Parts: sequence; C-alpha cells; structure tokens
Amino acid sequence: MIPTISATALGRRYREQIALDDVSLTVEPGTVTGLLGRNGAGKTTLMRIITGLEFPTAGDLRVFGQVPAENDEVLRRMVFVREDQAYPDLRVEHAIRVASWFYPNWNADLARQLIEDFDLPPRRRIKRLSRGMRSAVGIVIGLAARAELTLFDEPYAGLDAVARQLFYDRLLAEFAEHPRTVVLSTHLIDEVADLLEHVVMLDHGRVVLDAPADDVRGTGMTVSGPATAVEEFVAGHTVWRRQRLGARGSVTIADPLDFAAQSRARALHLTLEPLSLQQLLVHAAGHSADEKVSA
Amino acid sequence: MNTLVNVARYHPVDRVTYLALPWGIMTFSFLVNVVIASLAPPTPHGSYTGGLVTIYVFLLICGALSMTRALPFGLMLGVSRRTYYLGTALLVAVLGTVYGLGLTVLQVVERATGGWGLRLHFFRIPWIMDGPWYETWLTSFVLLVLFFLYGMWYGLVFRRWSVPGLVAFIAAQIVVALLVVVAVSATHSWSGVGHFFTTVTALALTGVLAVVAVAMGLGGLTTIRRVTV
Repeated sequence: MIPTISATALGRRYREQIALDDVSLTVEPGTVTGLLGRNGAGKTTLMRIITGLEFPTAGDLRVFGQVPAENDEVLRRMVFVREDQAYPDLRVEHAIRVASWFYPNWNADLARQLIEDFDLPPRRRIKRLSRGMRSAVGIVIGLAARAELTLFDEPYAGLDAVARQLFYDRLLAEFAEHPRTVVLSTHLIDEVADLLEHVVMLDHGRVVLDAPADDVRGTGMTVSGPATAVEEFVAGHTVWRRQRLGARGSVTIADPLDFAAQSRARALHLTLEPLSLQQLLVHAAGHSADEKVSA
Repeated sequence: MNTLVNVARYHPVDRVTYLALPWGIMTFSFLVNVVIASLAPPTPHGSYTGGLVTIYVFLLICGALSMTRALPFGLMLGVSRRTYYLGTALLVAVLGTVYGLGLTVLQVVERATGGWGLRLHFFRIPWIMDGPWYETWLTSFVLLVLFFLYGMWYGLVFRRWSVPGLVAFIAAQIVVALLVVVAVSATHSWSGVGHFFTTVTALALTGVLAVVAVAMGLGGLTTIRRVTV
C-alpha cells in the first residue's frame, strides 16, 4: 500500500536557520497522527511542504506517492486548516460556499450542522470574527471537505474548552464514519491524546520520536516511595528525572516495566504512575539534544 | 478546466471589490466631469476628460489584490499556483469582455446623445478609442486585461519579495525604458519612432498592447511559481 505521506531526508533551510533537518517519516492511510513539538520545532513548515505551499531544500516528499508541489491531482485530495490562515474580505457563508466548489467530497449538510454547532454567524465578515470563531471557520471547512488527507495545524487557537471538545467529538465521529488520514498538530497534547494512533515529535527541525501512540504511552513511569527503595528499584533503568523530598524519592524512568518488575515495585510499597503523553513529550523534548528517544 | 472556472468564480464573490468599486468610482469620476462640463463655457470641440482612466487603475488594484489578499485562501483550496494563476486569468478575460462591452455601450450612448447633451467626451478617447464600436470593444478589452495582469504581477512581486522587491521591480522597469531611450538615441532612430507613432493605426497599436499584455501574463506566471504562503 502506498503511504499517504512519506518523507525521506527532508530538509528546509532559510538562510542561516534550519527549519527541517533530515526528516524521514511515513504516515499510513487511515490513521490519525499527532504532530507534536514546541513552538518553532518545524511542524508548520512540514505541513506546508506536505500541502505544496512551501518547497523543501533537501530530500524528498511524496503524498499519495507523488510530489505534491504544483500537482493539482494530489492537492485536490487534501485540505489544510492552519492557525494563521488568512482570508480575503468575505462573509463566513461566502468562504464556506467557495470551499464547497473545490472539494470533491464536500458535504453541505455537515457544513451547515457545524456552523450551527459552533454558533458561527454566517453573514458576518470573517475579519470581524473573534480569534476563536475564525478558527471555527477553518474547522468547518476542514471537516466538511472530507478530504482523503486532512491536516490541522493548531486548528483551535482561541477556541474555548467547550468548542474544542466539540471539535474532538466531531473529528472522531467523522473519522469513524468516513475514514481518512488525519495529521493534527497541537500543543494541547493531553486533550488529543486519546485520538492519536501515531505520534511524531519534532524538535529543532528533527524527528525525535516517531512511534505508535500506544507504545509511547507504555514508556515512562514515575516511581515514588522511600528514597532508598526507589533508588534500589530503578538501578539499571534510564533515569530521566530525580526528585527528593526528605526521605521520600521520586524517579522518572524512560523504559517500560515488565510484569515482574511491576509486582516487585508493589512488594516494595512503591507507587508507580505512568507518564501522560504530554509529560512524556516534555521529557523527550528535554532529552532530544543527547539522544533519540526510543519507544 | 472545472477548477479553473472555480478559481475564476472565487474572486468575484467579493462583489464590492470586483463590481461595486470599479464601476462606482468610474461613475463618481463621470459625475464630477458632468458637473464641471455643465459649468464650464462651451468649447468648439467639447471637453475631453481622461476620467476613464479610473476604471483601468482600479482593475490594476484588483489584479494586485487577487495575488496578495486573496492568495492564501485560494491556495488553501487544493489548487496549484499555476491553476490559481490561470483561473484568475480566465476571470480577467471574462471581466475584460464584459466590462469592455459596458464601456463600448456607454460610448455609443455618449455619441448618440451628443456627449450627454454637454459635448462631454468621457468614454470616447481621440484616436485610440474613436473608431467603430467593435474596435472600441477590442481596445477596451486589451487595455482592461493589460492593467489587470500588470496589477497581478505587482501583487506577486510584493508577495514574494515584499517592499524591496517592489522597489526593484519598478526600478527594473525604469531601467528597461531608459535602455530603450538610449538605444534609440545611439542609433539615431528617433525619426523612425516618430514615424511609427504618426502612421500606426489604432488597431495596430491595440495589437502592440496585446503583445505587452501577454508578456505581463507570462511574467506573472513565472513569478508565481515559487511564491509561498
């Protein structure tokens, strides 16, 4: 099967600054991939290259097996909703109508429903919308387009928690009914953690983590209890973080614990707490300078 | 093909910019000239205004906006730069045809009413737009398209290289014009140039302008190839 996205040694350099460096990754059809990383990690640049809006300076990028740049056949099969999307001076309903002309799988009923759900004023000019409502316009287009490859780049800037939950629910429902490949970039990792099947993390333009979300969730554990017992227990493990408060210690280890290790911890009265995806990635970002995190 | 039509339809969704403003501003310019003509003492040949230039200038602005303000959303819609440019060029052809026809009809009315009863020549421009109606239509079409494509090229240069690019683009045009002047002087061919302009027919000049318009189009198409949003 042809991967939806495949990047090989992809690079993008702006004069002195390296935005993407030796990025190789594959996104399989019908998956939800989280593209994670700090500000300036290269997420948006990567998505812009995938959608043909930017050109790579090194390496190779294929979408549906073809180079996307200036390729109408490929471009019409994807939709890219970005945080900083600029609109001309149009009303909400106009922007939606224009979008409906271009996407072959556009669903007008869904668009109408979403406009209602997000409480968007159809006749208001987009430039007069609040930050969150402008994001909602992008979300409506991104979901109603039902494009084979749907890319969301921080799609909910300015949206309140209720609207964000609405977006997650809708995305999940849409994905279940009309499977497609979704790439979602976000800072609100824990909010989307359950949606993600695959996680790619960028740091300073490099891939520092590329693994199934379930595998990632298995790694990383915080062990706490009496300091001496904790230290004894974690000996031999890769330690990410050590904290000590009086006689109690708390150590975060990078590798997964097998069943025997877990029961031994219980026997020693140690508390085991798996790291959330967000905590894991914070650690991964902190350690990426030294080594590639293996999952 | 269908996608080109969709791009062409995308721009005039903004009715204000593409319909109301060009015709509104030209109408305003026309009314100002009507008032002046009705106040000024009558002259034997009537008054020529040059006010018609407003619609051409505004189409130049439309062209620039189509490649700046409208570009990011246009490229979000799953079209390549080339398709976006060609679709916009299709719109230019349609606008040039329809607006050119509008200007032609107004010129016919102007002639029939003796210059709106005031010997005011707003839509009739001596020599270049003074022939039969179909020549006026053709020349209007070529000029409207030329201005729009020229504006598109400005917009793309701005989008790609920002203000320094714009300055360099204008400077380059001045240098080209200067080189032509120098070349004509060096080869002592000013009399030839004068001869060309005194003998050329309005239709032939329209042909020259059409060639310039095509050059503008090719320039814009080359510039959009590496524009990023």
